Amino acid sequence: MMKNKISALMDGELFTDEANHIIEQLKSQSSAQQDWQIYHLIGDVLRQPEVITADVSKVVHERLQFEPLVVAPQRSMTEKARNIALSAAASLMAVVAVSWMAMQATPNKSPQLALQTSPLSRASFVLKPQVNAYLAAHQELSPSSDVQGGSAFIRTTIYSATEDVAP
Amino acid sequence: MADREVDQQLVERVQRGDKHAFDLLVTKYQRKLGRLISRFVRDPGDAQDVTQDAFIKAYRAMSGFRGESAFYTWLYRIGINTAKNHLLQNKRRPPTSTYFDAEDSESFEDASLLQEVSTPENELMSKQVIEVVQTSLQQLPEDLRSALTLREIEGLSYEEIASVMNCPVGTVRSRIFRAREAVAENLRPLLETSKDKRW
Repeated sequence: MMKNKISALMDGELFTDEANHIIEQLKSQSSAQQDWQIYHLIGDVLRQPEVITADVSKVVHERLQFEPLVVAPQRSMTEKARNIALSAAASLMAVVAVSWMAMQATPNKSPQLALQTSPLSRASFVLKPQVNAYLAAHQELSPSSDVQGGSAFIRTTIYSATEDVAP
Repeated sequence: MADREVDQQLVERVQRGDKHAFDLLVTKYQRKLGRLISRFVRDPGDAQDVTQDAFIKAYRAMSGFRGESAFYTWLYRIGINTAKNHLLQNKRRPPTSTYFDAEDSESFEDASLLQEVSTPENELMSKQVIEVVQTSLQQLPEDLRSALTLREIEGLSYEEIASVMNCPVGTVRSRIFRAREAVAENLRPLLETSKDKRW
């Protein structure tokens, strides 16, 4: 069972907890270390069948005994927490930015609904007949696009004197 | 946990003062690093010394390794620098005809250069080990041989092998292990009788 897991560990196919457990076993069991070594040797021979280099692990192991322990400064919790906070803040900013852009691109629905529910009524102001030609000529140039969502409800009216004299 | 993550786990253990974890990394990468260094340092004996030195340098520098690159890339870079320094100290120029980078080292195959790694002392042993592995592989049942070959030579993951062989991942894991163990069974007697057990 142990050998099976050593085999899976060297292939990177164990879950983290299981891998940590097997690594601990590899530290303490010489037979497990030999299995780790021989499985790697087999892999090396299969990948490079021309020749294999000699094992230097024992010499390196002996030389390591004269080396001071490596103790790297661990990444503090505050640093990890800061990284998480920065990531969360960046995500939040992205969501807010996208939402804001979406709101800018979409017409405001509420005023439209309000306009739809109210009946259209005739303009209360009265234009003089002299301006009819002017309105007709400039209708296409009117800045209706600036009135977001309201252009559909704006009618151009033309004053006619004949309507006033109708019965 | 992917292969790179296993390395990272081992690195973090070394960084917490666990020398045994470094032994596991040495076992894993010694031949790959040895082959790489032999490309710079032609003398087999020197190449072995430089390989050892590179590992010791890597160990000393381990506190500065932050996992921004893969461990083997970082290790190979140290190996290349150690080899170049060795050549400079011996007034030899490092090979410049073929540009070589640590990133490429995994795919490095140069049989003519690799042959030079063998010393007269270990050449026979090397041949025997290779022969036993090759013969053992050929004697394996087809499904075991395929699983091991797809893993070790093609570098496929268990999931990919399962897809290729049309079987569950658990079966792949079992087949690869059984294949390795079958080959290892034939190798152990040879390695135990080795004079200096340097394999």
